[in-house]
Amino acid sequence: MNPAPNTPPPDDQLRPHEFDGIQEYDRRLPNWWLATFYGAIIFWAGYWFYYERAHLGPTNQARVEQQIAVIEAARLAAAPSVDDASLWKMSRNPVFVEAGRATFTTTCVSCHTEKLTGAIGPNLVDHLWIHGGRPTEIYNTVTNGVLAKGMPSWGPVLGPKKITEAVAYVLSYHQEGEPIEVQAAWVPPPPPK
Amino acid sequence: MAAPLPNRDFVTTIRDDGSRPFLFPADTRGRFTLARQVSALLLIGFYLSLPWIKIGGYPAVFLDVAERRFHLFGIILAAQDMWLLFFLITGLGFSLFFVTALLGRIWCGWACPHTVFLDHVFRRIERLIDGDAVSRRTLAAAPLSGEKMARRVLKHGLYLLVSATIAHLFLAYFVSLPAVWSMVSAAPVEHWSAFGFMTVFTGLLYFNFAWFREQLCIVICPYGRIQSALIDDNSLVIGYDTQRGEPRGKVHAAGAGLPAESSAKTGDCVACNRCVHVCPTGIDIRQGLQLECVGCTACIDACDEVMTRLHRPTGLIRYDSQAGFSGRITRWLRPRTVLYGILLLVGASVATWALSTVRPANFGVTRITGAPYIVSADFVRNQFFVRIVNKRNEPARFVLHLRRAPAGLQQNGLTAPIEVGPLGEIVQPLVLQQARRDYAGPFIFGVEVGSASGSFHLQRDVEFLGPDARLLREEENEQREHDHREPARH
Repeated sequence: MNPAPNTPPPDDQLRPHEFDGIQEYDRRLPNWWLATFYGAIIFWAGYWFYYERAHLGPTNQARVEQQIAVIEAARLAAAPSVDDASLWKMSRNPVFVEAGRATFTTTCVSCHTEKLTGAIGPNLVDHLWIHGGRPTEIYNTVTNGVLAKGMPSWGPVLGPKKITEAVAYVLSYHQEGEPIEVQAAWVPPPPPK
Repeated sequence: MAAPLPNRDFVTTIRDDGSRPFLFPADTRGRFTLARQVSALLLIGFYLSLPWIKIGGYPAVFLDVAERRFHLFGIILAAQDMWLLFFLITGLGFSLFFVTALLGRIWCGWACPHTVFLDHVFRRIERLIDGDAVSRRTLAAAPLSGEKMARRVLKHGLYLLVSATIAHLFLAYFVSLPAVWSMVSAAPVEHWSAFGFMTVFTGLLYFNFAWFREQLCIVICPYGRIQSALIDDNSLVIGYDTQRGEPRGKVHAAGAGLPAESSAKTGDCVACNRCVHVCPTGIDIRQGLQLECVGCTACIDACDEVMTRLHRPTGLIRYDSQAGFSGRITRWLRPRTVLYGILLLVGASVATWALSTVRPANFGVTRITGAPYIVSADFVRNQFFVRIVNKRNEPARFVLHLRRAPAGLQQNGLTAPIEVGPLGEIVQPLVLQQARRDYAGPFIFGVEVGSASGSFHLQRDVEFLGPDARLLREEENEQREHDHREPARH
């Protein structure tokens, strides 16, 4: 048995096109390949019926909205209620104060110092307040910042939970009902001579 | 229905009606068969042992997709290092160009996992259970009997077992062995996605190795196709020496010691068709270089065995270039091999340099939103957020230093070493201020973050912004004059 080097199929199987002298025979595709092809078509029909026609499955938009709702619900559950009374209450709770102290130490001390007596930023333990000394006012100042004076808006960075804790920590140095005096501007201590 | 005769006009393993004839390649013996068995054993050992070998506390190769940490032989890469993938992909591309231009389809025959597992695991199992090529063909044609059934169940059971093993070790590359083991020990309900992946992957491997085989190389593999464009007349291929072999002729009954006039009439090929019988892709190598050839060397060993028995020189079918087969000298040094070689070298050097810049942590310095700088009564101030990412799976302590900082620059925040949890990241303010009297205009300084132990450090250049120093002085002078004049009016 010695196969001839070339056994050309009949001429009618040759496709008409030619590129760079290369021509191709009109051969049947492999059956396994056709199976994947027809399989894909059958899958498409089922998929189209399921999602586009019968609407049995949720749309992508519905799925995204569902996931966002889950995230939103978790955020709402985590976000503490912010009013003067509850902030004062938190400031007497050691768990909140301790958590707030941790946030304050990593985030706020660079300007307000570890003893809260102020350096770049104002003193937080005296009775003088520039942007309001009520708990909700402090909360708003931290959340929105005072950009002109260099206080960043911490809302997007820390989130409501950590801000609440940090405010509770600051309030733990104060008493409910103590006097609040308005200060025009913070005068930091002069640079060391 | 048998396979069509090998020819160059269509693929032998696809019949006119589109059905697929299953091939029964015969056994080979010889130096290449042995060398491939040894190299395959080493490669399988290498593939399968990587998840078991620990380097620096992690498996040698651990592509931790869940945590986005990629461990490669002791180097830890994070999602932030994804840009290195550019070098990996271009490097693979250049190596492919270079190796193919020089050595042809050496990868396909010797190192491709498909060939390695097919030829040296699955075909071995088949040989063990169903016997040699003749027995396998007879068994396939035989009607279903108890014995055939038993052999089929045993063979396919072993195929499935091996496929599942490969699938599990493959998954271990991505989730590590302990995780695979804990998932294997637990019920499938607890991790449907992994279980589904495993089932589908095992099924695909089984289908590929039990039935699909050479169709993957011929129809699906893109590398096999690209190689056709990368090979030239001087690339190493497996071929048949037409000049020496043709015209083919039967060996005389005397066998060796042919009369002179007989050997003059016929070439060295005795048309025994051994090379065709052993071919796993169903081609006749004597018809020249064909895209189906994966360079498995089976026909070399088959022909050499026959030639040795006939006391003729071996190498009628051999590794050589197209130029070599037509009696010319193979040119190894050609513009394309030189160019591909240079590209490969440049790529490898840059990749090595890039990899050497990777550290087990990353950090960034960004200006806090709001005013770019703040001028107070005594200071000029800049405020930054420093983000430190710990890429390790264990807590690490970091220290921050300022470099090339001018005199009088005060650092607030991050003055003490800071601990970052495993795979964690922190964002902390860094407030820098300089006394007005020291201020001499905007400047660039370096922020250096390193491990507290000093094992590595990273540096970023940051600009300290502020007003022009002269404007600041003028403003101060005006202020002072104003202050002096004020009391005078009283």
